[in-house]
Amino acid sequence: MSAPRASSSASTSTSTSSPPRSIKGRPEGGLGQVRGELVTRPYPEGPRPRFPAAMRTPVHDAARCDASGACARACPSEAIEVQARGQGEGAVFRLDYGRCTFCRACVDACPTQALSATDLFELAVRDRRDLVLEHRAGSRAPTAPTPPTSPSASAMLTEVQERVQRLFRGSLSVRAVDAGSCNGCEVEVGALTWPSYDLERLGIHFVASPRHADALLVTGPVTVNMRLALEKTFRATPDPKLVIAVGACGISGGPFRGSPEVLNGAGSSVPVNVWVPGCPPRPEALLYGLWLALGRLEQRLERGEVPAARSGSGQKA
Amino acid sequence: MSRTIPFEGDDAPKSAPAPLPPRRRSDGERGSEEERWVLGAGRAGPTELGRSGLWELGVPPGWWRATSLDLLTAGAHRISSLWAERDPKGVLLRALWLGEAGTRGILVRTLLDAPPPRVESLLPELSPALYFEREIAEMFGVEFHASPDPRPLLLHYRHALPPMIAAPDRAPPLDERSRFDFAPVEGEGVYEVPVGPVHAGIIEPGHFRFQVVGEEILDLEVRLGYTHKGTERLFEGLDPRRGTQLASSISGDHSVAGAVAYATAVEHALGHPPLERPTEMRRGALLEVERMAHLLGDIAGIVLDVGYAAGAAQANVLRNEAYTVLEELTGSRLGRGAVAVGGLARPLPREGLRPLAARADAVAKATVALLRHLEERPSVMDRVRGTGVVSKEVARALELVGPVARASGLDRDVRRDRPYGAYRGTELRVTHGSTGDVEARLRVKVDEVVEASRLFGTFLRRSGEAPAVPPAEPPRDGPGFGVGLVEAPRGELLFAVSLDLERGKLSRVHVREPSYLNWPAIEYAVHGNILPDFPLCNKSLNLSYSGFDR
Ligand code: SF4
Ligand code: SF4
Repeated sequence: MSAPRASSSASTSTSTSSPPRSIKGRPEGGLGQVRGELVTRPYPEGPRPRFPAAMRTPVHDAARCDASGACARACPSEAIEVQARGQGEGAVFRLDYGRCTFCRACVDACPTQALSATDLFELAVRDRRDLVLEHRAGSRAPTAPTPPTSPSASAMLTEVQERVQRLFRGSLSVRAVDAGSCNGCEVEVGALTWPSYDLERLGIHFVASPRHADALLVTGPVTVNMRLALEKTFRATPDPKLVIAVGACGISGGPFRGSPEVLNGAGSSVPVNVWVPGCPPRPEALLYGLWLALGRLEQRLERGEVPAARSGSGQKA
Repeated sequence: MSRTIPFEGDDAPKSAPAPLPPRRRSDGERGSEEERWVLGAGRAGPTELGRSGLWELGVPPGWWRATSLDLLTAGAHRISSLWAERDPKGVLLRALWLGEAGTRGILVRTLLDAPPPRVESLLPELSPALYFEREIAEMFGVEFHASPDPRPLLLHYRHALPPMIAAPDRAPPLDERSRFDFAPVEGEGVYEVPVGPVHAGIIEPGHFRFQVVGEEILDLEVRLGYTHKGTERLFEGLDPRRGTQLASSISGDHSVAGAVAYATAVEHALGHPPLERPTEMRRGALLEVERMAHLLGDIAGIVLDVGYAAGAAQANVLRNEAYTVLEELTGSRLGRGAVAVGGLARPLPREGLRPLAARADAVAKATVALLRHLEERPSVMDRVRGTGVVSKEVARALELVGPVARASGLDRDVRRDRPYGAYRGTELRVTHGSTGDVEARLRVKVDEVVEASRLFGTFLRRSGEAPAVPPAEPPRDGPGFGVGLVEAPRGELLFAVSLDLERGKLSRVHVREPSYLNWPAIEYAVHGNILPDFPLCNKSLNLSYSGFDR
């Protein structure tokens, strides 16, 4: 393979060769011409994309699970718990997508192929508990359902959500707040503004000041040193407002969970409306989370699983 | 034992041996005593450290400063990192010094065993020591005698005990914030502009305190630590194989480089046999495509901050393409989870490598075309030329690394100077500039994208077929200490790992991200610039906050 030589060596400035022809002022191989196709990906308006190269979301099949615990031992994020129960009750397998960093180690470790990797990326939820999957190992029957959200809390959530949907529908101004991320999430949040994802086509844009914002997008585990700044930013954002917690860190502290220097996620300091798992969440996962916040899409995940009824398009309006 | 330090091992790469040059003698000091450390004075002299290509040298605390300054001035070495480690008898200080390309690094250590831990500061002679010493002081409670700046670096709150000595059991309450005084600037018409920690864009948090007259920046002081997560402490007690995730989360925008540097350090410490060549090649390919994506981000940032949105959009399209290639290879756009101790976490795909190389090549060609396009736009070139100058003298004094150092005329690149993995035996073109301004950094970065795409293609071609998955049980017969030096997209990245070989656990992990050395450059780059050019200077240096704060 031959590589082009960049003739510039910084000190000696421009090249001697004549510059390639520009087409209507655009550099050769310019926008949309890298692979000869349009660069902006149609999601979430178009069909749901597949990512065959990125099968990273673990999915659990209770019937195959023999509760060996190999997955829990392999997991670097303490996202899996396999708990023995009393006699005859079978072990409980618990997977928290809010802690998961999508490393696939559990899938590789599972001796019975109960865990498989998928490209499921529409994982964002409104209720933190919908990120937690609980299975009885070896059984097809679902585990006793976790108690539903307390009525008062869920009513409050709905009220905020409704107000927010009525007022913001169609447009949303977002202020990104890095509360101590590793900056991996910043790459993907930033990518939303690249032509490849072009957030503004959806009526969502990033603003420079919390005073102009309808929503805060919080990345990072909330470090002790950022706690005050995050709280101040939240207070500076006019009501009603949404908070979207991004990434394993923003949800649970991610790889940094348990350090005395972090507070294990945005929920420690501000009320969170939408949780977007990932490490980092890919741009499409963030788009999904933003549309979910706006109520323009339905939530797919319920108690850590995609119910059969929702395995379709999930598109609402 | 001979009377000179053998800087060169028999098997070390060529290049003339560098005998210890004449020693700096001060005020009638005679040699005999000074030479004692060379001979070991009853202690062991410099010893070889496993396969990591380093000499290790222990000195008594009283010799710390003299030894360091000797290496700096007479030995023409530069400090790569300085860190501390808990020891049953006190606090162990370690410094890694690097000489000319091809020579072995020297690891100097001293044990501060008399409480309270105390040692002479390496300031003012050694500028980079400022951050190192401030961090060690707050984290380990070491007192650096005669340090001109004892302010904390990363901690914003008071802790009962230094956190690396005794982990705090709770987050300190808000009213226990510690005091931090910015250096005052006085005079008529001088005013102060505080910026941050929450910035206007989608960037990391940090605080900038500008002293401005009119629009001109007289002085800038940076306060960091906002993203401090106590990461180094989190490594302790982990199975070394489980540390790659944290290593990738030091600075997530070079996840691969972090994981490779960490894995290399652990492999040295464990006494891992050298990796198979195809595995090294695959790691190299991932490093290079990550470099492309990262540098294209820098280019996009520069172009955006001169106000040319269309150019920035183009660079970001190219950046996305590089991330897509990385995703094809690893399943993660940022290459997270791809590298494992002893190899790669899972084999790379065998099919479709050639088209990936072609895509990287197309990105490189389009990047060059973009530069030509920018060159035709005076409104762009006027803004970048002569802006944010970091002179070669400043770059050398601060011991800058990476593209920033190269743009200022320092010809250093770990890939060539201390080749590791895929870079051993691989020709490499290192570009450097001389003007040290934003334009030089822009051009160096474009060149590096091109070279990275060439290397990516080469490494992919050579990656062949080999088991990439590491052995289940790593060996445990190494020296228990290892160093990994990698040229990350931002420059030299260091991981130093101490292992408890018996228990098979990490006992100390130190990471020095390239930005740790490069951050002070921004305080120089902005001098005499106008405030609106600050974002441009900032983007062209592209400093990692998380990498600094950890
Ligand atoms: S994919 Fe998630 S659950 Fe599985 S090992 Fe990785 S972090 Fe743990
Ligand atoms: S979630 Fe992952 S990518 Fe995002 S900040 Fe945390 S460690 Fe980094």
